Amino acid sequence: MLTNNNSNKMFFLFILFFSTLISISSNSWFGCWIGLEINLLSFIPLISNSKNLLSVETSLKYFLTQSLASINFLFMILIKFSLLKNFDMNNIISIMMNSSLLMKMGSAPFHFWFPNIVEGLSWMNNFMLMTWQKISPMILLSYYFNKNFLIFMIIMNLIIGSLGGLNQTSLRKLLAFSSINNLGWMIFSIMISENLWLFYFLIYSMMIFMMISLFFLMNMYFMNQLFINNMNFFIKLNLLINFLSLGGLPPFMGFMPKWIIINFLLINKFYFLTFIFMMTSLIIIYYYIRIIYSSFMFNYFKMKWVNLLMKNNMSLINLSSFISISSMILSTFIFM
Amino acid sequence: MLIYDIWFLFIYMFSVGNLIFVSKNKHLLVVLLSLEFIVLSIFFFFLVLLMFIDYDMYMLMVFLVFSVCEGSLGLSILVSMIRSHGNDYFQSFSML
Repeated sequence: MLTNNNSNKMFFLFILFFSTLISISSNSWFGCWIGLEINLLSFIPLISNSKNLLSVETSLKYFLTQSLASINFLFMILIKFSLLKNFDMNNIISIMMNSSLLMKMGSAPFHFWFPNIVEGLSWMNNFMLMTWQKISPMILLSYYFNKNFLIFMIIMNLIIGSLGGLNQTSLRKLLAFSSINNLGWMIFSIMISENLWLFYFLIYSMMIFMMISLFFLMNMYFMNQLFINNMNFFIKLNLLINFLSLGGLPPFMGFMPKWIIINFLLINKFYFLTFIFMMTSLIIIYYYIRIIYSSFMFNYFKMKWVNLLMKNNMSLINLSSFISISSMILSTFIFM
Repeated sequence: MLIYDIWFLFIYMFSVGNLIFVSKNKHLLVVLLSLEFIVLSIFFFFLVLLMFIDYDMYMLMVFLVFSVCEGSLGLSILVSMIRSHGNDYFQSFSML
């Protein structure tokens, strides 16, 4: 990649989008595997574009884990084909297939590559990794899943996502552990219905997009950069709203999909699982609030000799705050 | 499906390939070679399975194309790693 221009990126992005569509709309499991392979082939040039050491190590780690997962997936597909287990979903073969798909997504207990790689990528590549790369393994997971195994994996995801983020100072790793926690919610929602998963996924990607665009515009990668900047009050307020929305606090947009899932859980008497969902969400909100309170109250810099960081066009920030606050109420006006 | 003992060979080859992949090696090239060994075992498995469907080997060719692409992608990442680090040892990684 000697010439780092946009036409390279557009080409590979185009193939990336189509690989997901190939994978989820294929008639046989072999077509799914082909889609996952093309996904890997087109994502690696997107992330190995910059000329520093970190991007080489990142693309290497990503390649090794993803290729191992997809080749295991293919082997399990062949075993399933040879033993003719097409409709019986609660056996060891579905466990193996689900494990390889969970490894592709970065869910616990196969999550160890995920914070490492997220630490080595830029914000826009992180956004692709956290949102688009999860679509294809999730939908494939819904085609042949083992319910007991997946519920165990969900519990592990929630616990590891919440407890792993407690000792982080890097914003990328924080969002990575938050992404692992949200994967737990998303795997459960895809076991309920694909429509619900799509709803959760769209709202989650919108929230992640708002956060990542804020961090990208201010070029912030670590938590101390949140405190020592001389930010405008509205940018800090937007940060507060987006963080609380990502954690799932009620008046904000992020509460809506979690509300629907908790509704389903309580109606169908999954009481222990509800308890784990709630408690891990509390831990996540704790470390978000820790960041925001430090930025708002304890480390509030108002230096006079440095210009305030005010963007010329604040409309994007104001619009994202407005959407985060009012989405839940405005959604009740949609009669569908 | 008259003889079932051949399944042990496929599972053994696949398991050995995975074992070498996850072992602690000095070079990166050993890991890529183990990946190719897993691909070889799957190729064999696929061949034997497709023989039972009246020798319909077209899917095998598609599988071969994709796994060769993946192998070459691995090698290109190895080359870029050697260009930046100077060797392909695992000890020269600096990220955690």
